[in-house]
Amino acid sequence: MGKMILIKILRAMTTLFLVVTFVFFVLRITGDPVSAMMPDDTDPAIMDELRKQWGLDRPLGIQYIEYWRNLAQGDFGITYRDGRPALDTVLERIPATLKLSVSSFLFVLIAGFPLGVLAAINRGSSIDRLVMALSVTGFSLPNFFLGILLILILSVQFRLLPAFGSGHWYNLIMPVITLGTAGAAVIAKFVRSSMLEVLNAPYIRAARARGATEKSIIWTIALPNAAIPVITVIGFMVGTLIGGSIVTETVFAWPGIGRLLIDAVTSRELSVVQTVVMMIAASMVIANLTVDILYLVIDPRQRFASGSGE
Amino acid sequence: MMQHSTISSSMNSPALEIQNLSVRFGDAETGATIIDDVSLKVKSGEILGLVGESGSGKSVTCLAALGLLGGSWHTEGKVRLQSSHGQESMNSKQLISVRGRDIAMIFQDATASLNPIKKIGKQLTNTVIRLQGIGKSKAKQVALELLRRVEMADPEECLHSYPFQMSGGQNQRVMIALALAGNPSLLLADEPTTALDVIVQSQILKLISSLRNRTGMGVVFVTHDLGVVNEICDTVAVMYAGSIVESGTVQQIMESPRHPYTKGLIDSMPTLKGNLPDGIEGQVPAPKHRHWGCAFSPRCVKAESDCARSKPIRTVLDETHSIACFHPLTDKEVTKAPRTKVDLTNVKKNDDPVPLLFLENASCDYATRKGKFRAVSDITISLRFGESLALIGESGSGKSTVGKLILGVEASSEGKAHFEGKKVPLLGTAEHREFARSVQLIPQNPYLSFDPRVTIGAQIEEPLDIHRIGSARERHQRRNELLDAVGLTAAHGDRYPHQVSGGQCQRAVIARALILEPKLLICDEATASLDVSVQARIIDLLRELQIKFHLSLVFITHDLRLVRSVCNRVAVLRSGKLVEENEIESLFLKPQHQYTQELLASVPDIPAERKNRNG
Repeated sequence: MGKMILIKILRAMTTLFLVVTFVFFVLRITGDPVSAMMPDDTDPAIMDELRKQWGLDRPLGIQYIEYWRNLAQGDFGITYRDGRPALDTVLERIPATLKLSVSSFLFVLIAGFPLGVLAAINRGSSIDRLVMALSVTGFSLPNFFLGILLILILSVQFRLLPAFGSGHWYNLIMPVITLGTAGAAVIAKFVRSSMLEVLNAPYIRAARARGATEKSIIWTIALPNAAIPVITVIGFMVGTLIGGSIVTETVFAWPGIGRLLIDAVTSRELSVVQTVVMMIAASMVIANLTVDILYLVIDPRQRFASGSGE
Repeated sequence: MMQHSTISSSMNSPALEIQNLSVRFGDAETGATIIDDVSLKVKSGEILGLVGESGSGKSVTCLAALGLLGGSWHTEGKVRLQSSHGQESMNSKQLISVRGRDIAMIFQDATASLNPIKKIGKQLTNTVIRLQGIGKSKAKQVALELLRRVEMADPEECLHSYPFQMSGGQNQRVMIALALAGNPSLLLADEPTTALDVIVQSQILKLISSLRNRTGMGVVFVTHDLGVVNEICDTVAVMYAGSIVESGTVQQIMESPRHPYTKGLIDSMPTLKGNLPDGIEGQVPAPKHRHWGCAFSPRCVKAESDCARSKPIRTVLDETHSIACFHPLTDKEVTKAPRTKVDLTNVKKNDDPVPLLFLENASCDYATRKGKFRAVSDITISLRFGESLALIGESGSGKSTVGKLILGVEASSEGKAHFEGKKVPLLGTAEHREFARSVQLIPQNPYLSFDPRVTIGAQIEEPLDIHRIGSARERHQRRNELLDAVGLTAAHGDRYPHQVSGGQCQRAVIARALILEPKLLICDEATASLDVSVQARIIDLLRELQIKFHLSLVFITHDLRLVRSVCNRVAVLRSGKLVEENEIESLFLKPQHQYTQELLASVPDIPAERKNRNG
């Protein structure tokens, strides 16, 4: 099992390397930070001077090697506008994003799993149909639209919640719903179909024949088995959440890295964009790694099939 | 609404009594009747065999007794259990408390019936805690004790294993241990040995029998195998189309069956003595299409006009023997022996010195994660034109791999595989195309060997299309000839695979295999998924075709009873090695190898002789 995890970690590192390289070149090919920052009528000599100062005049290959050399020393570059280390700029935004995405992730699980189970055990009933209708709606609504809808109803119409801000726990409610609804909808749907399949399995019938109560069958036998295929979906979900947070943070003026990324891209703050993308990529890679390991923990068959069992 | 109640405990009282059980599926009024007025009784310490073809309602009867049928099922009638609770009738909540404690059930696929992601120890302990209400550490001891009672080879090791790490036989023992956890007075066993190898089956049967002796529990043993019934049961109830058509002691049923269906079933059984199984015409009707009156009458040899008019009621022949039939078999008909002794002499043989098929020291390796696995090792077999060879072995013996070597699906790693003196070409090569015309395969599951979206007829013709033989009209004509040869009609050719029964579908597969006029047919468990009544008729067909088309056969099977009536020679395989090879008569009468002897001794067989009532 240890060897398998090592291989997975090596793969994750490769992914990370490729992402960083890709972003580095794409950013430099698609636009010049100096002309984006300075007014159009700036003296070209000044612009050239700035480019020289920031090392942007050198060949791409040299810049790339330089970039990695700095990275190795923990130097993520500086912002062009105020000369601060890019890493600091990004790090100070991370807690807000973490708060939003972790809360949304919990919301996805807490709403998705029970709804899926509820629909499965009431298959064909009006409860099932309601949950599935909600699921389709939740998945189909673009999250920026849902966010604006929530603001219009809860903030503008009924004045229940503030439209933006991040100081209180209640500030989280609308962003979390906005960000988590699509995920919860997908999870509910997957949990439902996985549960339906498991509930038809011979071991469920055998447990019933031994007199196990329906409640214990559902929660202690069926759900753990049904959760195995859903774990893969949860892995993807983390990616969706991070991608979605960029939009959601913009809608609710949430001071996280999502908004920072948008700002940095428009002002071509190369170091900041690179650092944010690296962080996002790293978190996705870590999430998928966790899912892979979780698989091995939950499903003994995977553990032993790897050929290095206990 | 069905009433469940309990019988106060006393010796000799029934462990289970089912009265007038009817089960409908779907709407309570208009739904299909699955079980129609079934009554049966199992005494304490008695094993009742519940037999019949698939679709006769055996399993549904058991599930109904447990109250385990889902919401779309409607049950009526009374189910009385022996129990110390002394309650008169039970609601669904009380039923839950009865399950596991008074009545337990084991199933066919034991491995799939255990939670795949929990260790066996944990599953057992949890069940013991729940059913016996004792503490965790005590329950662990009880779990270990239960595994010892089911004679698990290494109970300690088993506690720490997952179901997928155990064999099917070991898992069936675990299932039985789980069933015993609540000290039930009744065990429902639904085909518990059907998926097991014959030696393991024999061990499990002995285990169930000895547990019955020790605990005095009653057992309902559902099976389609009359050999198993003969081995283990005290009494038998024969079901057909949701009704019990005959019941009696095992001796009465096996030796003097009175219902034509019972006799049909018995005559369908292949035996070690080489009786040619006889089969029953037709198939079990779907519940919605059951015949008015006696449901069996359309297939019955003795049916007369009154059979169709009303449903026969149960008549008692003597204290233990009863049937539901208007025209029971007479003494003479009962004793009429089934066809015996197969005559394969009129199969055309030639004395060509080159054998049709010749495997010499052939081995076959499979690559696995842990390196090479030798599935077949150093096998030498030869088959002459017109002969039929049985390849016998348990699962994992390599018998199917030998089939693959012959078919050119796998290449031999060492040694050689020759057909008509030439090396068997590998699948995918140009030479294999030509070779495939001479050697064809009949696999186990006929439905899987057809494309579900193309008519059967078109698929029978397909080999001719591939090899560009004949005009469209000739191909069509050839298709109809073959449909006729396998006992189907041209109309069957226009149907899709799901529109025909399993037996008819297998016939169509045979027709397709024959259309290129092959010399050798490989039948890989070709009848294993069919009912015995249908199997007997497919065997008949294969024999007939063997003579008609001058075929040689390689018959791959786990069922020793089957081969005696079909093959001239038999090769016994074990763990990839050839254990023994001989003429069929010699091998059955004087098995040389210890393993062959063990195999033969484990086969559940039916008695050879029939007696009349006074005999």
